[in-house]
Amino acid sequence: MNLERQIDQIIQNHVHTISMGGESLESVVSEYPQIAKELRPRLEAAVWLRQARFAMATRPGYVHDSRKYLESKIESLQPHGFWKQILRRYTPQRLAFNIITPVVLVLLIAFVVNSAILTARLSIPGDPLYGAKLVIEDVRMAFTFGQAGKTSLHIQYSRERLLEFTELVMEGEYEQLPASALRMEREIIASLRSLNGVPSGEGTKNHQLVRNFKETLSNEIVILNVLKTTSPTNAYPQIELAINTVQSGLFALR
Amino acid sequence: MPGRLDKDRELIKKAQQGDTRAFGDLYEAHAPVVFRYIFAHLDSRMDAEDLTAEVFLKAWQSLPKYAERGAPFLAFLFRIARNALVDHYRQNRRQDSKDPNDMDGYRAEGSVEPVDAVSSQMEHQTMLQVLYRLRPDYQTVLTLRFISELSPRETAQVMNRSEGAIRVLQHRALAALREEMNKNG
Repeated sequence: MNLERQIDQIIQNHVHTISMGGESLESVVSEYPQIAKELRPRLEAAVWLRQARFAMATRPGYVHDSRKYLESKIESLQPHGFWKQILRRYTPQRLAFNIITPVVLVLLIAFVVNSAILTARLSIPGDPLYGAKLVIEDVRMAFTFGQAGKTSLHIQYSRERLLEFTELVMEGEYEQLPASALRMEREIIASLRSLNGVPSGEGTKNHQLVRNFKETLSNEIVILNVLKTTSPTNAYPQIELAINTVQSGLFALR
Repeated sequence: MPGRLDKDRELIKKAQQGDTRAFGDLYEAHAPVVFRYIFAHLDSRMDAEDLTAEVFLKAWQSLPKYAERGAPFLAFLFRIARNALVDHYRQNRRQDSKDPNDMDGYRAEGSVEPVDAVSSQMEHQTMLQVLYRLRPDYQTVLTLRFISELSPRETAQVMNRSEGAIRVLQHRALAALREEMNKNG
């Protein structure tokens, strides 16, 4: 046996027990006096390396945890068949999420828009959403086809202007009254013009619209007169102006 | 260790058919040995852990070619590990303008270690300092034999030399290490 092989055997047989304190380095070296000079430094170096090895150990749990990571990483690298790819892409949870999310989003947007429209429709001059109410009315008018339909809508809007005027008086918002009376006048004029534009062939419909508008204006005069008696004197001029506007409309209609 | 070799062969066959769990078993069996080899060349434990994972990922990707080569799995792994270390050194040199031979620059550890890890960290640092003064083939043979605990045969396969050549190399490397230990005090 050559020297290298013999020393390697001795190191393999004793390095573990020496580093664990089972025997001393000296005792091992003394067993081989003929090669002690070559053996000692090598055995010392091997024992030192063996002890340093403990500082190189993996952290507890590292191998187990990193194995999981490695397996999932490899899974993600694996090429999959067409159906497997589809199934991986559309798991039941993901499918449910993909369907539910847009539905919930659309419902939420619809709810917000609907609430805004409702609030706008109930607004009166001076409210932040009043501008939106007028825009909504314009849009509705733009999407109403046929003269009779447009006239009916104008009559409805003139009734809406009167209601706004009444509400402003009741809430004491007198500074808004002139503009509101002006809007009411414009709506009555627009209704009369629209009524004139209804084709003569639609006689029954025309009569019905005229009767409807007459009723609206008569009611408005009654309401405004009641308001006049119950309101403070500083609101009189504006209410008077509104009564005159409605009466003019009624005369024009007759 | 014939038992381990047989088991490896069986696991490799399954892994080559796409069995990730079989490859996971191979990982559990060999990761500590590969980690120790890599950590014996690096200063940072985190880098060593990342590099170990990288080695096994590369091994997985090269697994279809492995049978053609016919080398033992451990030798195959250590070859990948050695290449990964070379790449790591190269990248590190690119980022750091220090002299590549000055391994102290490479070893600078930035993170604060827990108290119970300090002594092990110091032992690791001392070992690195001494090992780095040796010739690269001495470092490799000592790391494989005494840190990764490979047999002379396995070491010969990894280093692509005969068992006799490995014994001679180890014989000289241990003497050189002892001398460096004396210099280091």
